[in-house]
Amino acid sequence: MTAAGLIARKEAGELLLDLRGQAWLLAMAIALSAFGLLLIGSAELSLLDNAQVVYDMTGIVTALGALLAMVVGVDGIGGERERGSLVPLLLTPASRGGILLGKIGGVAAAWAVMLLLAAPYIWAVGSTGQNLWDGMVVVLLLGTPMVLGFGLLGLGLGARLESSRAALLAGLIALLVAASPLLIGPSLRQSALGRVFDAVNPFSAAVNAYDAVIIDSQSLLAQVLPFGQTLLWLALTLWLARAAFHRVSR
Amino acid sequence: MSPMVLAGALALGLGAAPALAAEAMPVSIAIAPAVANSNSPRMGDRLNFRTTIRNDGTAPVGGVIGWVSLLRTDRGHEQPIDLEDWSAHKAITIPSLAPGEAVATDWPFRLIESGTYRVVVSAATRDGAALATSPFADFTVRAKPVVESQRVLPVALGLPLLIGAGMIVTARRR
Repeated sequence: MTAAGLIARKEAGELLLDLRGQAWLLAMAIALSAFGLLLIGSAELSLLDNAQVVYDMTGIVTALGALLAMVVGVDGIGGERERGSLVPLLLTPASRGGILLGKIGGVAAAWAVMLLLAAPYIWAVGSTGQNLWDGMVVVLLLGTPMVLGFGLLGLGLGARLESSRAALLAGLIALLVAASPLLIGPSLRQSALGRVFDAVNPFSAAVNAYDAVIIDSQSLLAQVLPFGQTLLWLALTLWLARAAFHRVSR
Repeated sequence: MSPMVLAGALALGLGAAPALAAEAMPVSIAIAPAVANSNSPRMGDRLNFRTTIRNDGTAPVGGVIGWVSLLRTDRGHEQPIDLEDWSAHKAITIPSLAPGEAVATDWPFRLIESGTYRVVVSAATRDGAALATSPFADFTVRAKPVVESQRVLPVALGLPLLIGAGMIVTARRR
């Protein structure tokens, strides 16, 4: 197995087999359960259109996935540094690119686990089945580059900043701002500023595509532009992470 | 006191005082659905009914209490509906109503469950023993697919328990 594969397997193992990783998954499951129970416990929310509920759930899953990716990303380099294991890792024969690829593999594994965890929840709230599978596919297609991008941002911040706490804080602020479309609906983002924000925000691109596919029943093929936006975000964060990681010396 | 209990108490009061029950109620109530109401409402929609409570008598009427009641009339489901989730506007009080004076009131509803319903607004006065009621306003609520609790509950409760059990196993292996 290559160095990248070994590192990715170790990172994924920490999430699935380590108590700390499992605690994160439990927290994610509790958050999704809380939303599910809120939907059936509140008369107002229980009357929402089924497609709207599926859209809301996919948005929450994506936000939680981005949060998990950010934490795994920051921990992947910043955490290693604080645990004193980064320098030994850099001194191994593995190339910087290989190490970074392994770390990205860890982020991807976290997102894959999150998707597996979320699938039953999305199915549970999608009682009519309306656009349910298309909804899951659009999360896979657009959510993946968007979430991986946040993981790469976490890796980059963890590499660039000396303190992993500072890196995590910076990453969480960025995520909070980016995820604001979950709270501010499309009609409230129709101002010039809102449109500019939507145009540069990968999170907006993803949730707008979710909206189009799940609520408006648009074709997946019509989501080329938002898909391109999320790919651009992925490429940008990959460049940032590479640049930051190649400068790491301690 | 809830409108239904109040209605029951008033009904009992009328039975105990037949002499007073013979008095004519000077107040009349007209009811009409709002123009904006959907012709075919479904769960989650909002409906509005407008009533006009008028003093048809020759003397002022004081302390008028008006309240709305909702009845489900589907066969096998006939029952008064608790307005808890349906409406926050359940009653009004009118301190005084001069002869010929009328007070218009809007009664908004959020449609919570599918079925066939009747709305009726009743009014009683502080001193009078009779009860005034509006004609019925009927409407039918169409069903809408919404979240099903029997699908959500097993997942929402089961997955955290499953992960928690996994954590216990991991902790014990150490």
